[in-house]
Amino acid sequence: MFIHIKNYVANVFLALTCLLAAGPNNAYAHGEKALEPFIRMRTIQWYDVHLTQDKLKINEEVTITGKFHVAEDWPRSVPKPDMAYLNVAVPGPVFIRTERYLSGQPLMSSVALKLGGDYDFKIVLKARIPGRYHIHPFFNLHDAGAVMGPGQWVDVTGDPAAFTNSVKTISGETVDMESFGFANGVSWHVFWIVLGTAWLLWWVRRPLFIPRFKMLKSGHGDALITPLDKTIAKAILVAVPLFVFGAYAMTESQYPNAIPLQAALDQIEPLPPAVNAGKVNIKVIRTEYRVPVRAMNMVAQIHNYSDQPIRIGEFASANLRFINPSLGQSGKNEDDTLVAAKGLVIDDDSLIQPGETKTVSMAAADALWETEKLDGLFRDADSRMGGLLFLYDPSGRRYIASISTSVIPKFD
Amino acid sequence: MATTNLFDFPPQPYTGEKARLTRAFDYLILVLALFLFIGAFHLHMALTVGDWDFWLDWKDRQWWPLVTPLMAITFPAAVQSVMWTHFRLPLGATLCVSCLLIGMWITRIFAYHYWNYFPINVVLPATLMPSALVLDMILMLSNSLTVTSILGGMSFALLFYPSNWPIFAMFHTSVEYGNAQLTIADVFGFQYIRTGMPEYLRLIERGTLRTYGQYATPLSAFCSALLCTLMYPLWWHLGKWFATIRYVKTI
Ligand SMILES: [Cu+2]
Repeated sequence: MFIHIKNYVANVFLALTCLLAAGPNNAYAHGEKALEPFIRMRTIQWYDVHLTQDKLKINEEVTITGKFHVAEDWPRSVPKPDMAYLNVAVPGPVFIRTERYLSGQPLMSSVALKLGGDYDFKIVLKARIPGRYHIHPFFNLHDAGAVMGPGQWVDVTGDPAAFTNSVKTISGETVDMESFGFANGVSWHVFWIVLGTAWLLWWVRRPLFIPRFKMLKSGHGDALITPLDKTIAKAILVAVPLFVFGAYAMTESQYPNAIPLQAALDQIEPLPPAVNAGKVNIKVIRTEYRVPVRAMNMVAQIHNYSDQPIRIGEFASANLRFINPSLGQSGKNEDDTLVAAKGLVIDDDSLIQPGETKTVSMAAADALWETEKLDGLFRDADSRMGGLLFLYDPSGRRYIASISTSVIPKFD
Repeated sequence: MATTNLFDFPPQPYTGEKARLTRAFDYLILVLALFLFIGAFHLHMALTVGDWDFWLDWKDRQWWPLVTPLMAITFPAAVQSVMWTHFRLPLGATLCVSCLLIGMWITRIFAYHYWNYFPINVVLPATLMPSALVLDMILMLSNSLTVTSILGGMSFALLFYPSNWPIFAMFHTSVEYGNAQLTIADVFGFQYIRTGMPEYLRLIERGTLRTYGQYATPLSAFCSALLCTLMYPLWWHLGKWFATIRYVKTI
């Protein structure tokens, strides 16, 4: 894909320019398949992710909303999510993030997530650079990597020069973020560079290396520094620090209320349970992955504690969605490439009555297991998988269970 | 021996063709040095100081003024040792820092702005020019490694924060954003999306120097000054060892 290639090219260019310096971004962009399958399936379990629109003009906003469950069966090799950052996979600031909420609260910094917690989120992006972008919400997890949410294409058109972004300070001053401090910063740089260059030219215009070396070795080194040089040096030695501290004092009086960078961690509690909320209890007894037919066969014991009969509608894991086609409740985005619209087949698809415990065998089958590189699970040190199972009652009410199970590969 | 003409400076041991050739040699060395220092010093800074210099929301009161001068005094010390010991040219630090700034500005404009869409004000580099000028003056006037290590090293570090505060203070104006008090620099970090550099990776002051309250900056600056007095002679000797004069001797 164009964006993906461009990211790599941009990174290579950046690496060359910075001479192997660490790039400022894009390191994880579209690393959807880069992380180990068990991390993608058993950490942040995304669902209901939507974008408000897929065609924008510069300065228009798109809102990403969605929910996620933090898996209870968090892999032991992954540090607990005590430091997590809700991010958006885009190639740099082609959008700016104007707002972000977690569980309805503004989220400005990083946050600690609770295992088993349910959260919803909202991110507002404002279009800044025209192009076609594949946007994903994702979590940067400290020491673990980027766990991607589902992606969607967005087209941005218009003139980038028309982009505006202003912010109001506490004292009521409006600041243009695209240019704030630029002229001032450049002026200071120019001032010091001119002074430095003047000092360099003062010396460079003289005969340099060979003549000076010869004179120094022949014992006439003292003549290489003239009294005028010394006078100028003394003047600079006094003037530069005086000027620096003078400018510093003036800046202090100009910005007496400057505050340090803010480093607090946001404190946000999970929402009331939405997944494993007690209405449905699911225990996966055995799971086999049939390699030749690319099917995950799960045998699960389902207990219905609700007062309505229920059926299984969908199994979702690592942004793959396997839909039970006999249910009209889910799978509205059938054109989405990561949805297997007929991917979930259940042996006994009859209603599970209130209070009933039923053992069901289901098969989540699709080539997506392979194309999304989730079938590598069996070659990992941790070959447990996890995901969300969506069940529905006749009125369309949804019950969600987060399951986890070890997987046995079958090669026949 | 009064100088009659302002441009009639020593040394003038050569005339005619010989003078022309040695001058050509000067330019050759200068151009090579320029590219070498732009590449090497800039790489060194990008790898050691890195994000503290790249991003507004990394320029804190504690780590930025500690790390930057400490890592930046390295090349100036080494180049000074060569330029002063062999040529009595008191411009090693200024030359290095000028090259560093050229490299930084090229990166900020082309890699960060044009290729990665960041406004340049978000990635303004810090300046080390005042520090470098003072370092050159101290070496020239003292002609002593010891004095330059102690006085030069300290001034190099102590001048860093005050000379950059006029550039960066305005980004520390407070803003109410998302029901929190943030600096404008923090708002930049929030708004201008960096996928590979989440907020928690910032190594910035988190208020752990509680006993020192608001004095985080002077404390860091003095700590850096102390370390710079040790870093300076270390790199001076590194420069000396690296720059063998056996090629020049044969001339
Ligand atoms: Cu993508």
